[in-house]
Amino acid sequence: MTKRLVIPGELVTEERKKLGSHVFVREGKIYSDSMGLVNDEADFASVVPLEGKYMPQQNDVIIGVITAERFAGYSVDINSFYPSFVSKKELREVLKPGSIISAKIMKVNELNEVELGSIRLFFGGEIIQVSPVKIPRVIGKEGSMLNILRDGTGSNIIVGRNGRLWVKGGNTDLLRKGILKIDREAHLDNLTNRISGFLNAENGNKKPVMAQDESLNGEGE
Amino acid sequence: MAKKKEEQVVYVDSKGKRLDGRKTDELRPIKITAGVIPRADGSAYLEWGQNKVFAAVYGPRECLPKHTASPYKSVIKFEYRMATFSVPDRKNPKPGRREVEISKVCGEALEKAIFVEKFPNTAIDITVEIIDSNAGSRIAALTAASVALADAGIPMRDMVCGTSVGKAGGKIIVDLDKNEEDAPDAVDIPVAMLPNSKEIVLLQLDGILSRKEWDEAYKLAEAAAAKVYEIQKEALKAKYAISKEDEVAPVKGVEG
Repeated sequence: MTKRLVIPGELVTEERKKLGSHVFVREGKIYSDSMGLVNDEADFASVVPLEGKYMPQQNDVIIGVITAERFAGYSVDINSFYPSFVSKKELREVLKPGSIISAKIMKVNELNEVELGSIRLFFGGEIIQVSPVKIPRVIGKEGSMLNILRDGTGSNIIVGRNGRLWVKGGNTDLLRKGILKIDREAHLDNLTNRISGFLNAENGNKKPVMAQDESLNGEGE
Repeated sequence: MAKKKEEQVVYVDSKGKRLDGRKTDELRPIKITAGVIPRADGSAYLEWGQNKVFAAVYGPRECLPKHTASPYKSVIKFEYRMATFSVPDRKNPKPGRREVEISKVCGEALEKAIFVEKFPNTAIDITVEIIDSNAGSRIAALTAASVALADAGIPMRDMVCGTSVGKAGGKIIVDLDKNEEDAPDAVDIPVAMLPNSKEIVLLQLDGILSRKEWDEAYKLAEAAAAKVYEIQKEALKAKYAISKEDEVAPVKGVEG
């Protein structure tokens, strides 16, 4: 698997390929529109971005922070372009500025404004923020990374697509370190093994998280 | 009187060397670092000869005041500022005519590169602070801002790169410094372009050039801009080369 780092305006391919995300066509050639990684063997010409804001999508579950109370509801910071709004009609709980909720995006309009539904209030816990484009790395293939994090730290983790993670219980300091590591090394190969190795080393090999392999080269102190 | 001065200073000597020892088509040394400001969405620090520039990008975010927003595109709010200590005499911190103009032209240059139509009703704030200046600071600002935009992950058609070209002592030279800019017959042309499509996004001229001189100057500018592009590319890729084990990423927390 060869991955190539490209910057905006750099050529992705001269071949005719199906267009994936973060690419555009000029004079029959495909170029990247942001900084990211290209897999040249894939059928789609697409760039996996390394930076960027959260672009709301329907059916995403996000984690929001209440910023203010209005007459009929609350405004919610959803870590996107604009704040969103939750009506008091849909809620049984009384919220305060600083309350943390999870919500599902019911509708996105052409201005990327969102309508929120199925709101749940969180009690306690803390929030870890990562770059929204790295959320797929935090989840891993079919949740593999998330399972490793859960097993390694014993924390409850709820992932919001907007780059926020709500965590409670377990070793949250270690979890924070692990997630920072994912954020930093998201563009490198073999991330899942690196992280399981890291968590193992930090836990002092008290309980093996996963079958260890050669990628465990003494990371961490 | 002007003539006497011209004879005293030799801007390009017989060996083709300039006052500071550069060749006519040689740039001042450029150093770019991406991602230097943790709280910004994207940032860059640039040293171009004596010029020192910080660029920070925030957004796309809510466009305030709301009447400035456009439902068709994201509004680019470019701010070029010079620090009071960036020039030999103290600069008044109030934005002057020159800064307002540079902010406008640089913002418009970047707007050509950014996919503004992808983010309707939002603003992209770009702030550039000139810490030290020695001619060519608007191009330095634009170069740094372009790296900061890529670092922020904002979709762009291309990077924006450029140089100034011009004439001093009757010779066409690239990347004029302050001494050369003060030559009696000086012509200074900042040029910024999209390196892949060679589209010009910024071009200003003060002074007089003949058609032939212009053709020569433009050719030099194009070659020099390509060099600047390579440096930008390296700077961005260096950020992701190999992360160091001991380096700790900035912690972004949520208050409350």
